[in-house]
Amino acid sequence: MPEVITITSGKGGVGKSTTTANVATALALKGKKVIAIDFDIGLRNLDMILGLENRIVYDVVDVMDKRCNLAQAIIKDKRTQNLHFLPASQTKDKTVLNKEKVENLINELKKDFDYILIDSPAGIESGFEHAIYLADKALIVSTPEISSVRDADRVIGIIDAKSKKAQIGEEVEKYIVINRLKPEMVEKGEMLSTEDVLHILALPLIGIVPDDEEIVKSTNLGEPVALNKNSLVGEAYRRIAKRLEGEDVEFLDLKTKKGFLNKLKGFFK
Amino acid sequence: MSFFDIFKKKKSKDVAKDRLMMMLAYERAHTQIDNLDEMKKELINVVKKYLNVKDIHIKTSSNQDIETLEVEILLNK
Repeated sequence: MPEVITITSGKGGVGKSTTTANVATALALKGKKVIAIDFDIGLRNLDMILGLENRIVYDVVDVMDKRCNLAQAIIKDKRTQNLHFLPASQTKDKTVLNKEKVENLINELKKDFDYILIDSPAGIESGFEHAIYLADKALIVSTPEISSVRDADRVIGIIDAKSKKAQIGEEVEKYIVINRLKPEMVEKGEMLSTEDVLHILALPLIGIVPDDEEIVKSTNLGEPVALNKNSLVGEAYRRIAKRLEGEDVEFLDLKTKKGFLNKLKGFFK
Repeated sequence: MSFFDIFKKKKSKDVAKDRLMMMLAYERAHTQIDNLDEMKKELINVVKKYLNVKDIHIKTSSNQDIETLEVEILLNK
């Protein structure tokens, strides 16, 4: 059964597109046929994160409005077999999408792909609504910061109201991705921990992604970090893909190595 | 509490968590009900058939896993 997974967050800049690009890459590496679609009309970015910006001819709106056929618009990644991409349009008119067109497109893609990953725009307006409308699963990306967690909570509250699944009495499966966690700050008590965020959002966890400079580097290069076999963040994304595939894998051990002083403190506890 | 906690100030993450929980408790309590006014009217009409209604208040609140809808019906004495 093909699966539609929407990556969303409420707040902007928390790593939705990076998550989409890397989870899509990791699923493709596992041999699944994957397409990542950018639904951020007017502000596309997934193309650059995937390193496919120079290959765009047509976009998702061209397909929906039948200016080209689907096969013409889909970009096949040459580095990663099985990975495909459908770019957002750069039009300023955000009202170009409508439910019927979105549904036609997704149904068409379901015939060909195992996974359809939708990169949702920030916010809770129509772009978000279209991105979530046909989702089977939703990955809610949140950093361990109050503004991000608060917006995630808002989004979680409206996902079901906006989804087609809810209309037929089913529920969208919702999972949390904690992004940009800094273990050393968590240990000092200066950053919300994974447990804190999960306690507040009350949903199952599907990934913990540590804050890492490698993300910046890989974005600079347009090479998703999930391709890097030696990278810890890359591994974090590959494990999300495994969990989506139903595998039971442990979360990364992100504890920092304790120094002498901390060990000494430990004795007094 | 450990020996060292005596000298510790409250950690910033605890402050963050407290503030978040307070804010979310408030925001979640205001979960929108579509057509709340309509529901109110219909409820009043139903209850009116049997009782002498003065006013009706509806509020939602949520608590961890459950969400409740509280309906308070004021009757004329």
